[in-house]
Amino acid sequence: MAGNFWQSSHHQQWILDKQDLIRDRQHDLAKLSEEEYQKIFNFFASIIQVLGEQLKLRQQVIATATVYFKRFYARNSLKCIDPLLLAPTCVFLASKVEEFGVISNSRLITTCQTVIKNKFSYAYGQQEFPYRTNHILECEFYLLENLDCCLIVYQPYRPLLLFVQDIGQDDQLLTYAWRIVNDSLRTDVSLLYPPYQIAIGALHIACVMLGKENLKPWFAELNVDMDKIQEIVRSIINLYEMWKSYDEKKEIQSLLGKMPKPNPAPQR
Amino acid sequence: MGDNFQSNKTMASVMMDYEFKMKTQNERSKVEDLFDYEGCKVGRGTYGHVYKARRKDGSDTKDYALKQIEGTGLSMSACREIALLRELKHSNVINLIRVFLSHTDRKVWLLFDYAEHDLWHIIKFHRAAKANKKSVMVPKGMVKSLLYQILDGIHYLHSNWVLHRDLKPANILVMGEGPERGRVKIADMGFARLFNAPLKPLADLDPVVVTFWYRAPELLLGARHYTKAIDIWAIGCIFAELLTSEPIFHCRQEDIKTSNPYHHDQLDRIFNVMGFPQEKDWEDIRKMPEHATLVKDFKRSNYQNCSLSKYMDRHKIKPDSKAFSLLQRLLLMDPNRRITSEQAMQDPYFSEDPLPTQDVFAGCPIPYPKREFLTDDDQEDKSDSKARQNQQQQQQPNTQQNQVQANSHDHAANNAKRMRMSGPNQGNAGGGGGQQEFHQQQQMMFGGQQQGAGSQQQGNFQQRF
Repeated sequence: MAGNFWQSSHHQQWILDKQDLIRDRQHDLAKLSEEEYQKIFNFFASIIQVLGEQLKLRQQVIATATVYFKRFYARNSLKCIDPLLLAPTCVFLASKVEEFGVISNSRLITTCQTVIKNKFSYAYGQQEFPYRTNHILECEFYLLENLDCCLIVYQPYRPLLLFVQDIGQDDQLLTYAWRIVNDSLRTDVSLLYPPYQIAIGALHIACVMLGKENLKPWFAELNVDMDKIQEIVRSIINLYEMWKSYDEKKEIQSLLGKMPKPNPAPQR
Repeated sequence: MGDNFQSNKTMASVMMDYEFKMKTQNERSKVEDLFDYEGCKVGRGTYGHVYKARRKDGSDTKDYALKQIEGTGLSMSACREIALLRELKHSNVINLIRVFLSHTDRKVWLLFDYAEHDLWHIIKFHRAAKANKKSVMVPKGMVKSLLYQILDGIHYLHSNWVLHRDLKPANILVMGEGPERGRVKIADMGFARLFNAPLKPLADLDPVVVTFWYRAPELLLGARHYTKAIDIWAIGCIFAELLTSEPIFHCRQEDIKTSNPYHHDQLDRIFNVMGFPQEKDWEDIRKMPEHATLVKDFKRSNYQNCSLSKYMDRHKIKPDSKAFSLLQRLLLMDPNRRITSEQAMQDPYFSEDPLPTQDVFAGCPIPYPKREFLTDDDQEDKSDSKARQNQQQQQQPNTQQNQVQANSHDHAANNAKRMRMSGPNQGNAGGGGGQQEFHQQQQMMFGGQQQGAGSQQQGNFQQRF
């Protein structure tokens, strides 16, 4: 559905206020620093990305799954549902919404098992993917409830294509900006800003990287709140800065150890 | 499978926090706590069951439609339906008020406003009246108002790149008495039907749902994708049916279980009405996947005397009328030349007197009966699907299936599914005749055979609500 973003549930319910977001994370931020919190999300965004690629989903579907994941934890603590369960559940739900053929339950579980074993052993060691179909299906109901049934997510990819067309087709610029949009999924920007602003932010960074001074007038003519664009740019640049000094393979196990965990039912 | 995930104590990780789970459970409202709907089923089909419901707390006395989606959990079509309806907002598109997820039995419920009428029942009512040489009093502009609102709703869907994919009279609802009286609501978009191979052949569940009568010729010739033009063709078919009370491309449907889109009899029927398409009228017909079969199976000369104008003329719609000229633009064989919903809404037909009205009944009494309640007898119903299929064919003008008809009467009597004829409009149906704003729609009206006409309807009361 192309639809109208301004009348969408995305715009009306899911562009969050930064202060609210920070407040709602208090429980988790008592146990994790903001940077640690971001590193954990980075990790699960990678799991969603790899799962999606293994299942041959389009980037649009993967991005939607990642946004579901972020929306759930924007309102809930990491301890409410194990993110290792919520991540594949988001992929499953997004693939159905985006109408890309049904992923069979068994194929989803098998893919989770292989991906965790082959690509994320640095985090989980010899531990196998612990969940089965019934866990995913139950989790899916909780996810849908927490999303308030808002399943259509607008992504920056389409506006990005339109902007690049407007600038005059530039494949290198598009490739760079596209990757930056992918990277932006590892930040909070998809919770805080409309997708067209994220697209402009990504273009801005791509222009700086490619030294495209000549596009300054194009940006100047845009009728957008440049402060917002600068905030988006800062969030993404901060991510790149963090990556420079971060070795996920070494640190993730201890981060996952520190992560708030669900409590089981009290023993009778 | 419900709530036992924590029983697996050997599992290394706990999947869900107990406190979170309890809190969510306590906050969740259950459909059965909020609504009364027991014994009030008004529809069933592949999509599930639909109930007429009222709020238990009496905070309002409106009627609601509660749809329990077939099967358990979130099928792809359920996901699509929830995702799209959550975003769509237009006065001629059904409004999703709320979703209920029942965790214990994994059922999904959707809450909508209740629409008392639909075009399937409305047309059926007119046809029954016609058969009995009675008349139905409806405002002169009713068909025009219906068509205009259908186009308005479809235009909204199309401009949001949502295709309906399953337009037919049963999916066009009309609101009964109340603040939205006489307003068209488009329902049951064919969510994901194209991509979602149903586990059961559709035909096993619901013969009406798989009707080919509203299918565009390009689909019958193997077109692989749904388009806006396919929806427009279906609107053309519905328009013709509203004008004549007969399905324009009516066709026997014996082999509806076929998975092949190519359907010889249906194409034959279309050509019998429209004539065989000339090369110049539809250049790309040669590119259709089933074009070779078409050439092999059909002879142009067999349809030499057929044309839409002759067909409609036989049904008392003059070829020089504005209605006919719009119909012709909607029913162009070449999908590329068919008009868009937007163009259709600009057609002179709509600026000619009588102008379309918001209330399609234009303030006049509503002559149609309210929906009947169905009995909750699924067992019987499934075994009876063959009979229902036959009954459906009774809609045909020249039915020769007297025996089946007799069966259907028994069937209805056994189940005591009684039509609710009590509505406040009933008594007024014949009143006001002869007044100018009324138009005698051909020669129809429910006659002494109310019982018969009602019970014919029993078994195949399976339109979307």
